[in-house]
Order: sequence, then C-alpha cells, then structure tokens
Amino acid sequence: MHLRLAFPLLPLTAVAVLAGCASPGAGAAPTPPATTAAAAVAVDNCGTPVTFPAAPSRVLTIKSTSTEMLLALGLGDRIVGTAFQDGPLPENLAADGASLVSVADQVPTEEAVLGLEPDLVYAGWESNFSADGAGERDELQSLGIATYVSPAACKEPEYKPKKLTWDSIFGEIREVGDIFRVPEQAEKVVAAQQAELATVAPDAEGRTALWWSSGDDTPYVGAGTGAPQLILDTLGLTNIAGDVQDTWTPLGWESIVAADPDVIVLVDASWNTADSKIATLQTDPATKNLSAVKNSRYLLVPFPASEAGVRSADATVDLAAQLADLS
Amino acid sequence: MTATEEAAGPGVTGATRALAALRGSRLTLAGVGLLGVVLLGASIAVAVTIGPADIGVGEVFRSLSSHLGIGSTPLSALRDGIVWELRLPRLLTAAAVGAGLALSGAVMQAITRNALADPYLLGLSSGASLGAVAVLLLGVGLLLPVAAFLGAMLALLATLALARSAGAITPARTVLAGVAVSSLAAAITSLVIFWTATGDSYREILGWLLGSLAGARWPAVAIAVVALAVVGVPLLAGARVLDAFAFGDTSAAALGVNVPGVRWTLLGGTALLTGAMVSVSGSIGFVGLVLPHAVRLLTGPGHRALLPLSALAGAIFLVWADTAARSLFDPRELPVGVVTAILGAPVFALLLARRTRT
Amino acid sequence: MSDLSGERVTLTAGGRLLLDGIDVAVRAGSVTALIGPNGAGKSTLLRALAALEAPASGTVRFGTVDAATLSGVRRARIAALVEQDANTDLDLRVEDVVALGRLPHEGVWGGPLKERERIVEESLDAVGMSGFRGRRVPSLSGGERQRVLLAKALAQRTPLLLLDEPTNHLDIAAQLSTLGLLRRLAAGGATVLAALHDLGLAAAFADDVVVLAGGRVAASGPVASTLTPELIRDVYDVDAVILPHPTSGRPVLALDLPEIAGAEREGSR
Repeated sequence: MHLRLAFPLLPLTAVAVLAGCASPGAGAAPTPPATTAAAAVAVDNCGTPVTFPAAPSRVLTIKSTSTEMLLALGLGDRIVGTAFQDGPLPENLAADGASLVSVADQVPTEEAVLGLEPDLVYAGWESNFSADGAGERDELQSLGIATYVSPAACKEPEYKPKKLTWDSIFGEIREVGDIFRVPEQAEKVVAAQQAELATVAPDAEGRTALWWSSGDDTPYVGAGTGAPQLILDTLGLTNIAGDVQDTWTPLGWESIVAADPDVIVLVDASWNTADSKIATLQTDPATKNLSAVKNSRYLLVPFPASEAGVRSADATVDLAAQLADLS
Repeated sequence: MTATEEAAGPGVTGATRALAALRGSRLTLAGVGLLGVVLLGASIAVAVTIGPADIGVGEVFRSLSSHLGIGSTPLSALRDGIVWELRLPRLLTAAAVGAGLALSGAVMQAITRNALADPYLLGLSSGASLGAVAVLLLGVGLLLPVAAFLGAMLALLATLALARSAGAITPARTVLAGVAVSSLAAAITSLVIFWTATGDSYREILGWLLGSLAGARWPAVAIAVVALAVVGVPLLAGARVLDAFAFGDTSAAALGVNVPGVRWTLLGGTALLTGAMVSVSGSIGFVGLVLPHAVRLLTGPGHRALLPLSALAGAIFLVWADTAARSLFDPRELPVGVVTAILGAPVFALLLARRTRT
Repeated sequence: MSDLSGERVTLTAGGRLLLDGIDVAVRAGSVTALIGPNGAGKSTLLRALAALEAPASGTVRFGTVDAATLSGVRRARIAALVEQDANTDLDLRVEDVVALGRLPHEGVWGGPLKERERIVEESLDAVGMSGFRGRRVPSLSGGERQRVLLAKALAQRTPLLLLDEPTNHLDIAAQLSTLGLLRRLAAGGATVLAALHDLGLAAAFADDVVVLAGGRVAASGPVASTLTPELIRDVYDVDAVILPHPTSGRPVLALDLPEIAGAEREGSR
C-alpha cells in the first residue's frame, strides 16, 4: 500500500517544521513540531530538505543504528527490509526485531532499494546514499522515496556536529518520533535514557582511555567529536585522541604507547574481534608493556553500539559497569 | 711523455694522471658509496629521534645503547619500546625496502632498456600485493614473501606477454601493459579484501595498494634485510653485465653474455626482491622509478656505480619519506606510498616529457 | 689455429631461409671481404659465424673447435663482432663503452684496473679516437660512434674479428685508416672478416672475398681471381671493369655507368 499516493502533497509552506539540526552546527534538540494528522513534517537533513506528508510506512533501514532507532520507538512494523547490519540486535530489541528481513549484507544497490518500494530509506551513514550505493538522495526523492540520515553522521561542515552531545542524540530520537508521528513515544525513550545516564558516575580516578575500533598496523580510533568522545566524557575518562577534531582517526602505535592509556575500549566486531585485539596487544613487543595491557584493563563495546544512536546511552551504562568492575 | 707534458712539469702531469685514474674508477665509487653509507646511517640516527612521542635524543640513544649491549641506564619499558620496537624496526625496514625497490627499478630499466621501467609501473608491486593478500585473507598455504614473489613474477610475465602480443616490445607499450596488469591485480586485491572482510576494510586495501610501513616490527626487518642480502647483493654483481646490454642483445651476446639466461635471472631476481619488500610494506610506488634516475644524473649510466648508489639513495629516501608519513600530521599517519607518490609522480611526468622531446 | 670456417651453415628465421648451406673459410692473417647485394644475408652470416645465432644445421668452427660447444665468455675471448649501426640511448662515456670489451676477460666485479685502462687507451688510439675518451656516446657523429664500437671490439683482444660495414658513416680518410688498421691486425695474425658494400674498397683492401647472393655463396677466393666483371654482372646486375692499380698493382674496380657512357660516346662523335 502506497500511503504517499493517498495523501496529496501539501504546500511546503503549510506547516513546514524545521528540525533541530537545521540551525547549523548546533547539536541542540529540535523544537517539537506541532503535528496534526494532516500536517506535513519537513526537515532539513544534512542539507537535504525532506518532507513527510504522512508517517512513513515502508522503511528500508541501512546500518544498525537506523534499525535500532525504529525498534526502540516501537516502529518495527514499518520496516520492510534492513541492510548492512553491523551486528546482532541488543537484547532489549531482539524480540521485536526477530522477524526483520535483511536484504543485503552491505549497502544495497539502488535497484534492490527500488525493488522494495519503500517510502523512506533511513541510513546510518551519509555515504550509504551514493550512485554506487543505495542511490543519490535527490534521485530517490524524485522517485517519491524520502531519505533520512542519522544527523550525527552528517558530513557537510555546517551540519556535521562540531561535537556530539546527548542532546544531539535525543534530537534525532525526537525528530524521528515526529516524522513517524509518535512524539510521545520519542519523549518516553529520551526520558528513560536521561534517567539511565543520570546513574552514571564519572570515573573517580580521572583515567585516560583509548577507543580502538579497528586496524592493526595503524589503529583506527575514536577521536574528539563523535560518539566515542561523548561516551568517554560521560564516563569521566580522558580520550588520548581527544585533540583530533574528527569522529574517528588513524592513530599510530607510537602515539598510543607514548600516551600509555589507563583503559582501552575495544570495539568488538565480527571482522575484528575484541579477542584478536587483545591478542595483538599482548604479543606486540611495543604494546605488551602498556599499563592497560599488563593489568587487563579492557572495556568491550559491540560495534553497532559504538556509533551514535539510540543505543549509545545503554552502551555508556554498560561501559560504566565494566569500568567499575576494573581493579 | 710528450714535450708539452714535460713543460707543464711533473706535478701537473702527475695530477692529471691521478685524475684520469680516478675517473669512473672503483676508488671514486667507493668514496661516494662510503658517503652514502654514512648519510644513511646519519639519516636513521636522526629519524629515530623524530616521532609523535616526545622522547629526547639522549633517551633514544640510551635505549639503543642498552640494546646493543653497550650498557647504560635503561628507559622505562614503554619509552624503550617506542624506540626499539616501533621506530627502529620501522626505519630499518624502510631502508631495506627503499634499497630493494630502487635496486629493482635500476635493474629493470637496464634489462628492458626502458627508462620508465619500475616494479610499480610494470605491475610487480600490485601482483606481489595480491599474492600477500591471498595468503593473509584466503589462507593460501604459502610463506608470505614466497606468495608475494609468485604474484610479482606472474604480474611481470603477464606484462611482458601483453606488451609483446602486439608486436615489438616498446617502452610505451610495456608501461601500458604494466598499467593494465597492475589495475587488474589491484582490483582483485580489493575484491579479495571486500569479499573476506566487512566494516572499514577499505583502510587495509589502502595499506596494501598505497604501501605502509606502520606495521613493521623486527620480523619485517628480518625479511627485508635477508631479501636484500640474498637477492640484492647478487643483483649488484650483474652491474657490468647490464652495461653490456647498452647496445642491445646481440652486442651483449658478442661480449659473452648469456642474454636470455641473464635476462630471466635478473628479472626473476627483481621479482623476488620486490615480492619480499611488498610482503612487508605493501606496494610503495615510484621509489624504483625515480631514485635510479636521480642517481644517474650524478653518476652517469654505468651500472657499477648506478646499482649500489641507487640502493643507498632508495634507502635514504624511504627513511625520510616514512618519517614524514608518520610525523607530518602527528598524531595521524599517512600511508608512506602517498608521500612517495606526491614526490615521485611529478618526476615521472618530467621523464615522460623528456622522452617525447627526444 | 685461428681460422674461421663455416660448413653447410643453414639458418632460418620465421620460416624464411636466410642462409642456405654456406661453406666459407677465412684464413688467419688475412682480410676477407664479405660482399653481396642488400638482403643477401651478410649480417646474418656474420652473426652466425660469430656463433651468436645458432644455425639450423651446419657447423661454425673457430680453428678446429666447434663454436657451438664454447661458453659465451670463451667465445667472446676468441671472436669479436662489430655490429652495423649499433646505438644506445644511454648516456655512456666513450671509455666506458670501450671498457665493455674487457668484460669477457674480467669477472663480474671487474679485473685489474691498470690493465683495463691501458687496453682501453690502446684501442682508442688504434682507431684514432684517443681524444674522445670522456665524450658521451649520444653526442658522437655516426662515424665517431662506429670507430668507438670498433675500439670496443679491439679491447676484446680476440684473434677473430668480424665487422659489419665498418666503414659506414666514415669519411674517405677514416675509411682508409680503418681498413689500414684491419690490414695491420691481419698482418699481426688476426683473422678479419668484414662485410663491405663498397666493392671498390673490397677490391682494394681484401685478400679474399666471399660473394653472397640470396643466402648462398656465389663465389669465394682471392680477390683478383674471384671478383671478375662476369661475377659482378651476375650478382649485382651492373657492368664493371677491373684494372690493375698503376703503382700497387692491386685490382681497381671501375663501374660502367650506362647513361654517362652513352653520353660520352654521343659527345665524341
């Protein structure tokens, strides 16, 4: 059923609602739009204006963050397909997402996207929308398919968060809630996450940390502006790559050894497991003497939780518990 | 002695003769070679004190001397590790890889009588990368350098066969064939990495295709240095034979050179050397092309001087290129192949321009 | 012992018969000219006789030794070949090129330096190029390069010397001095075989002549008895007369040029 055909397009000026990330650079929460059944929701998403005359009902999600966002908002029934999932769903969403169908292990081709006849493609990365990926945004929108990228992943300078905050993440939750006409559900999720985060006590010792995502010869690590930095800040840990103005950065071993982080956060991905990272750290003569390695001060985070999204708060609470268990 | 020489006095004639004896002799070669060795040693000594970690010169040399058994107060294990486990093996690998690639390039240029020949342009490096990636990701049961050698050799054979398929082997056609083979090998390498890995594996692809010394530890030093000693030194012995190729195959044969034997032995040697180097560094471009040309400007084309000095110059060049790669954008790192390409591509363009004019 | 001979040498390339059962013998201590029209197979025969190209059948002998049984280095110590118009785009110095001639006598790491220097000097001197030692080969004229290549062959110090058009690109004085050098080498016991396209020079300088046509030996033997007007007409399809030189008595070849001859006759009428 094609809802987008059932509702005539309202003029953009009617009830154009600008979302939070419309104000350049601000990681502030979007102003809650006044939505009525007949009002279209319009957002400026990473510089692309998108209008939702009605709540999307056939959604293709690319990357785990988008899938998890919809499941957390109780919108699993709107998902007609998932693609490029980074790992298994977290326990609290696993039951809701059990029946989801994955259409591609990586970025689906544009044909595969069109074949699903979605009314929204919701992607975790801006780069998922490309001619050799799921299709250019303009093209998809001209075919009547709305597109949406997790605002934390915007790449344009005016839209890329200068520094990710919890408000930026809550902003996305609220914005998606508005698009799907479930603002109350979004507020509930935000409130729950705020309560959760309030329980996290900053590390008393003010220790330093490395967030190692992947790469062996030159590690790829969490830098100063993205989810890793936000989570480390919340945990009261100092990111040794925090000076680098980017979400991620390649960081040479020499810099890591010189900084000798107290704690190492290991991203656990199927292609680069935490175990293999620990093995590398323990056998490489240059890293085996790191204090975090000698004392096994590792914190583990599943890859899907390492990107900004609805799972970031849970990941923070989980990491805080692991941190508390460390000697 | 002629009347004029006598008139000029014994001192002058003596000097003239001494100069004549020196010209192109092994003595000058030894002198320049010694200078090169000293420069290389100095480069490594200076570069080992450079890096993102703030380690003083004194500390660096304390670390080195304690490992060399000259004994002194050791540093903390971590700071010592930075010098002895990270910087030094990486520098030594860079030196050996640079020497091996430049030597391979110089030999290939002579043997194919092609000024544009180089392990990178003729596809050997990409072939070696593919061989290495096949072992690492597909679990092909071969030693890493052996697989890289086979990849390099196959790529070389493919390039030469392709260049010959359309008639006589000309430099331009060989380079075109090399580009085709190299692109294919690079594409298959990318495919293998995409096929077997997920997530952000494109960075590993870059590492292999652009070359990086970030992962070089002592085992890499061992592979690169042993390859240089076992393959590189015999290649140096081919220097005079390579000179004999200057006037073509028949002329070389008339001087007693076993032309096909020498050609395949030396090409096989360059493939072996390239393979070993690529297995520790990925395919680093332009070292094999640019350094021999730079050295030739100084020494002329005689291979007795060109081969050893190209090797030395390649070693010094890559030591500094890698030092730039790891410290220029501190604390981020560039793949060293980016640095060599930025420096090498314009020189390549210059060479092309000069060829078209003559 | 240093004779050079070929017995029933047959050589094909790409299915084409280039040499067809060549029998040839070059005496030690003599200069033999190899002549024949373009495409007769002169260069191919020189390469075959220098044992650089293996014949499909037949035998090349250096003295009594089957040349095919020699290693490359031993072969290069016995026979040297000066190719026609060999060139290089390498910026080599003249002395380096001549020193290449020492390669068969030295190991890969080089031999005694003094001896090499001396032989290079002597070889350049012999071809009148001592002043060119330090010059770069690409800067030389065709004739200068030709003489440097001859010096390289001389530096090989071989009893057998094979030359492909050694007088190409040379002015008349240099042609005469090169051929004079070959005569002196022969007088010293060397075996010299030179392909020449100038029949006049061949007649004036060679002891013997081998006439090649269509990959076969048309005639061979001492110049005086072999190089006859009949043979020249058969092989080259031109008319010539052979006269004795007024002072030396050596054969001098005079070509009969049809147009000029006709005009003269008309004019004298």
